[in-house]
Amino acid sequence: MKKILLACSSGMSTSLLVTKMIDHAKTIGEETEIWAVGQDKAKQEMAKADVVLIGPQMSFLKGELQKEAQKYNIKVDVIDMMAYGMADGKKAYEQAVSLIGDK
Amino acid sequence: MFEKISEFLLPIAGKLNSNRYLQVLRDAFMLAFPLTIFGSIFVVLTNLPFLNKMLSESAIATFQSSFGIASSATMGIMSVFVVFGIGYYLSKSYDVEAIFGGAIALVSFLLLTPFVLQPETGEAVTGVIPVDRLGAKGMFLGMLTAFTSAEIYRKIVQKNFTIKMPAGVPPAVAKSFAALIPAFITLTVFLLINVLVTLAFNTNMHDVIYNAVQAPLVGLGSGIIPTLIAVFFIQILWFFGLHGQIIINSVMDPIWNTLQIENLEAYTAGKEIPHIISKPFMEIYTVGMGGTGMTLAVIIAILLFMKSKQMKQVGKLGLAPGLFNVNEPIIFGLPIVMNPIIIVPWILAPMIVTLVTYLAMSSGLVPPPTGVTVPWTVPIFINGIMATNSIMGGVMQLVNLLIVFVIWFPFLKALDRLNVQKEKEAEANQAS
Repeated sequence: MKKILLACSSGMSTSLLVTKMIDHAKTIGEETEIWAVGQDKAKQEMAKADVVLIGPQMSFLKGELQKEAQKYNIKVDVIDMMAYGMADGKKAYEQAVSLIGDK
Repeated sequence: MFEKISEFLLPIAGKLNSNRYLQVLRDAFMLAFPLTIFGSIFVVLTNLPFLNKMLSESAIATFQSSFGIASSATMGIMSVFVVFGIGYYLSKSYDVEAIFGGAIALVSFLLLTPFVLQPETGEAVTGVIPVDRLGAKGMFLGMLTAFTSAEIYRKIVQKNFTIKMPAGVPPAVAKSFAALIPAFITLTVFLLINVLVTLAFNTNMHDVIYNAVQAPLVGLGSGIIPTLIAVFFIQILWFFGLHGQIIINSVMDPIWNTLQIENLEAYTAGKEIPHIISKPFMEIYTVGMGGTGMTLAVIIAILLFMKSKQMKQVGKLGLAPGLFNVNEPIIFGLPIVMNPIIIVPWILAPMIVTLVTYLAMSSGLVPPPTGVTVPWTVPIFINGIMATNSIMGGVMQLVNLLIVFVIWFPFLKALDRLNVQKEKEAEANQAS
């Protein structure tokens, strides 16, 4: 079970990508939990996650969130810009999986 | 070159976003948000433009006065929520008992508030709090008081200058005793300030801060030039892929919100609306037309006139969210971010639209926003009508959409030509 947390300004613009990522995970038959939150909730929610992806418009949060994420030994990264814009669930999912993989 | 600027902007944006005071301010205004929406709905309902055709004048007056309390009890005393919110969230950020921080901030603010109403003519009424002191007029004093009082409170708590109860005392009791000394000291400070100001200078802190800080700052913020500068920076930040509003609004919101409440107070009192620029102006006329940069026009242009497959797909993806003013697909998918062809229309169009809207409103052609809060996700045209209580407010947005369309078109065409070429080359490569 892979648990992927997405964070953006209010959790709104990321939710489209979440749907696409869940769809992709289903088609390849993997069990996942993927959810989106606003930046204010990100620090609490990451306790439940295996990896945190942040919307590119919030890239300046990376340092701050990474510090927090070290407590849980998980990785934080900015979602690839084009994958985010085109709501490319496959690409974003693969990014998440590779981040979990080499932890 | 773009990468260099981006590297330079990133830490600044991060600092502004994670600044404790700005974060607290943002949260405090968010506390007031659901309340202002509640108040706004009833202002809109009791001022519907066709009411005078259905009801008599006296019926409308009764209707408005009986439902008017909905906005008086929320937006009319907005400073109360902001003050409490700042006290609460600032204490919380320092991990000290937050609810007392909020209560102490509120009392500190009230300690500086005159409990007397001085009408223009006749005798002063004592034993009342003038409501406008708790609304727009007291906003800046409220914010300053809340930040200072919560800072004093948490410093005393952190110095461990508190009464400790033996184990076994119920936590609620122990907590209220723990807050006793910090509360006492903090409130004494504000009580003494008030005594000094009223006795020595025969005035009150409300008038002092209003005249020295709030009126000049708010006056500056209501001008078109500072507004255009704010729009410019929001667009620039987004061009580098950073959330412009989160960063710029945390600085501008105190001013824009105050202007909004002043407008609403005038509007509900049946007076002329004093300001054109306000929070709703920024939300409805710079964001509320498809998202930041008013990209609904861009989506329409792409879907109708562009040939590139990639752009068509971005347009299709962006249409539904765009109707609700979410436009990340366009910003990152087209992309707008760091795209040298797009920088000109991206920055120019919103500034021209802001200027045109301002001029249309100052000439009286279109009424300015009344001060009601319309959630920024309400679609174009509807949000314009709701915000101004006039069909013209919606028509203005359609005109703006056309302006954006015209400015963007040549640049989009150029991008389209490049993309089509790239797509053809890619196809040719695959075939061979």
